[in-house]
Amino acid sequence: MPRTWHRWIPAAAAPVAIGAVVLGGVFATSASADPADKTPQQVLELAASSTVDTFSGTIEQSSNLGLPDVSGLGGSTGSSSDSSDGSDLTSALELLTASHTLRVYVDGPTQSRVQILDDMAERDAIRNGDDLWLYDSNDSTAVHSTLPADASTAPDASAESLTPAELATRFLDAVDPSTEVTIGDPVTVAGRSAYDLVLTPDSSTTLVSSVEIAVDADTGLPLSVDVFAQGSSDAAFHVAFTSLSLDTPSADLFDFTPPAGTDVTEKALPNRDDAPADGSVAPDAGTHPEPTVTGTGWDTIVELPASTDPSSLTDSPMLSQLTTSVDGGHVLQTTLLTVLITDDGRVLAGAVPVESLQAAAGK
Amino acid sequence: MSSSDPTAASLVARRTRRSLGVGFFASELAVLFRRRRTWAMLLALAAVPILIAVAVRISSSGSSGRGPAFIDSITQNGLFVGIAGLTIAIPLFLPLTVGVVAGDSIAGEANTATLRYLLVSPVGRIRLLVVKYLAAVVFCLAATLTLSIAGILIGIALFPVGPVTLLSGDTVSIGDSLVRSLLIALYATVSLLGLSAIGLFISTLTDAPVGAMAATVVLSIVAQVLDSLSQTEWLHPWLFSHYWLDFADLLRQPIEWSSFGQNALLQLGYVVVFGALAYGRFSSKDILS
Amino acid sequence: MIDCSGAGSSAPAHASGLAIETTALTKRFGRQTVVDGLALSVPRGSVFGFLGPNGSGKTTTIRMLLGLAQASGGEISVLGERMPQKLGSVLPRVGALIEGPGFSPFLSGSANLRRLDSADGFAPNGTRSARVSRALDRVGLGHAADKKVRAYSLGMKQRLGIANALLAPRDLIVLDEPTNGLDPQGTREVRSLIRSLADEGTTVFVSSHLLAEIEQMCTHAAVMRAGRLVAQGTLDELRSAGTTRVIVTTPDADAAAQVLRTLGLDPGHPDAPGAAVTATLPESIEPEDIVAALVNAGVRVRGFAVDHASLEDLFVALTGEGFDVVQ
Repeated sequence: MPRTWHRWIPAAAAPVAIGAVVLGGVFATSASADPADKTPQQVLELAASSTVDTFSGTIEQSSNLGLPDVSGLGGSTGSSSDSSDGSDLTSALELLTASHTLRVYVDGPTQSRVQILDDMAERDAIRNGDDLWLYDSNDSTAVHSTLPADASTAPDASAESLTPAELATRFLDAVDPSTEVTIGDPVTVAGRSAYDLVLTPDSSTTLVSSVEIAVDADTGLPLSVDVFAQGSSDAAFHVAFTSLSLDTPSADLFDFTPPAGTDVTEKALPNRDDAPADGSVAPDAGTHPEPTVTGTGWDTIVELPASTDPSSLTDSPMLSQLTTSVDGGHVLQTTLLTVLITDDGRVLAGAVPVESLQAAAGK
Repeated sequence: MSSSDPTAASLVARRTRRSLGVGFFASELAVLFRRRRTWAMLLALAAVPILIAVAVRISSSGSSGRGPAFIDSITQNGLFVGIAGLTIAIPLFLPLTVGVVAGDSIAGEANTATLRYLLVSPVGRIRLLVVKYLAAVVFCLAATLTLSIAGILIGIALFPVGPVTLLSGDTVSIGDSLVRSLLIALYATVSLLGLSAIGLFISTLTDAPVGAMAATVVLSIVAQVLDSLSQTEWLHPWLFSHYWLDFADLLRQPIEWSSFGQNALLQLGYVVVFGALAYGRFSSKDILS
Repeated sequence: MIDCSGAGSSAPAHASGLAIETTALTKRFGRQTVVDGLALSVPRGSVFGFLGPNGSGKTTTIRMLLGLAQASGGEISVLGERMPQKLGSVLPRVGALIEGPGFSPFLSGSANLRRLDSADGFAPNGTRSARVSRALDRVGLGHAADKKVRAYSLGMKQRLGIANALLAPRDLIVLDEPTNGLDPQGTREVRSLIRSLADEGTTVFVSSHLLAEIEQMCTHAAVMRAGRLVAQGTLDELRSAGTTRVIVTTPDADAAAQVLRTLGLDPGHPDAPGAAVTATLPESIEPEDIVAALVNAGVRVRGFAVDHASLEDLFVALTGEGFDVVQ
């Protein structure tokens, strides 16, 4: 027996070797060359001056909002079973609560494609010039819209009117009273070294503990965004490139023709900008009609008037599962965001505790 | 048999250097594919897409509204039948057949007492493990190719065939879709490498081949159950079955290779760990069967 | 068949005169010691009988000799090489039948042999078919070469197992209970096969629990009992280690016994008048002196015999009466 013990050495060594490779990989990435020190102002300038408008990459997005994973309730695979009215809300919630892998292909401001890689399925948003396509492989449906001629240039026009330095200054001025902007330790995202821009709210009432944005040291492209909630070291919301290529994507990718047998809907823009691709990136995208905004900075509360048909919200079996009843309505509590649906149908939302919302609702 | 009537002297001749074992590997493959059991398993696998296609054809209702979407799309394009067949077979049927082959590899030889004769022939113990494992890998490839090809053939026979719509909504030519079908079969083969290594290791633990087969198949089911439980989420990326159904990434435009790479890396890890365990066990084992 | 004498075989020059040598070879399974301090010496060119009741540790010893089982202690050398370190270079020169044949039932006899031959890294591919059919012919299985082993009788499988040992030129052939399951005709064939192998210069190591078999074929023998070696040597040496008896057939049994006692022998008490009187013969007394003494005493001698003890007597003496399994 003592003669044979050495035959087990490989079996013992294999996990160690694998562990070493895995950990070595981790250390190797963290040990990549650090970029030169920069101030927040310089990093913001770098980001603002970023000229990268042609790239492709894979993005991973995950949320830890303290909500149950609702994908099983009617997310990626079951959206076809929902009515079309409910599916907007469902897919919005699904986008926020579940983890996703996305691929983005961008070639200039007018050609882009975002793919949400679901299990055995895919949702695509393709913009090619004035054409906007939304495609869902689950139910073989496509939505086609034609963008108004000015929409393609509008955001760029405003951005280009400012120099990066001016833009950075303006941003810092805008956030200054409520937010401390610092640079953390350099990070590595998608194999690229990046500056870690840390935004820390000065407010004590917000649920947000900090926001970290990794800015590519080379190009100024934002590579990841992590939003941390109070009392948690794991990011409540995380979106980051896992791979990034600055090569021009193949032009075929933007040339979308709905496949035979697809149910194509023509939709006029702009009525509701619910393309799944951009709804997920901005945590508090308040694009619903006529919201009232109270408070400032991180304590901002958005209030939707009662006219948005409260029954569609309160009657949803999924929402009734997710919300808890409080004085004056139902509350949806996440680690980052609190939503109060008052009994009279108003919806108040903000990155603040429920008490603040109740107070705002009572005004 | 002795038609050439070789002289006794030539029969006495021996190789001066030991061969690499290619001849033994070829003989092992011949033995594997001469077994009626192997053919029965391949036929059963081929029956999976055929049954799907026939069932869909008979019911001929356009959309069942259940299961992966491309089960429905096979009515529109027969080239999907192979992929649909693989999707159905990956969770159970493929692990079942691979479990039989890998679980039988050493334990089966022990059971028929051929193990001791192979070892005194002599084939070295490491060489025997490697040859047995490679034979199991060849079976995995044969199994997935059988499924794919049977599916494509029955699809062509029963359904219209044309350019294929990918998950991304893009349409590719028939030739491109056949290449992707082949890639998916390769993906499924790679997916089974880890399970084959586990089966090989279990097979060195016992002289009862049925036990080794059953244990291997049960492990594949356990891994999939664990993979579906949210309580064991931390474990998911380490389960050998974690990427089994991610071959869908090959149906995107452009092909998403990352899951192929991650899957291959994970399977390689399993091969290394369980190969080392099998070596540790088998090289120190007393062959008493 | 070409008769190359023992010296002509491809034995390495440095090899000792022993085909198998073990020192203090020990095998324990848990607390049980199955083989205990074995010191085997099998000379090259011998036909060596390895004798012992079932369960005495013969097969375990053979497994250790061939590297199938690890020794718990002691050392082994086969064909002059340390085992199991030189397993890969020694085993191709060794043919073996171990504890019965083992073949894939779904393959034909010749396919089984081809498979095992291809596992031998030193076996040339080119002559495989010819060597397989020659080995099958040699054990009388040429007619059943393409039959599935499933359809073989036990005796046929046994022959196939022996054929496997003969696939390549061997310096040593180990046959564990080679005549198991064979009919008398098959047993005779195996015996003559072993003799012809020995004539070619191959060392043959035969284990058996049947003494007669060993006595008929072997030049040397060793006897195992409960994991220990109790005797070893040439058959003549073993026989001489046993006792010689005189047997006197006479109607005057009492008188004959009396005469023997006066000569210092111990005939015991005759069972019945008229039965043979027997006594152990000491080396100091010549048999003819006994006859003379008997005749002088007026004993009517009808028959007189000097009987060397058979190996069977020795075997029984050494291993106990039991041919049973020794636990």
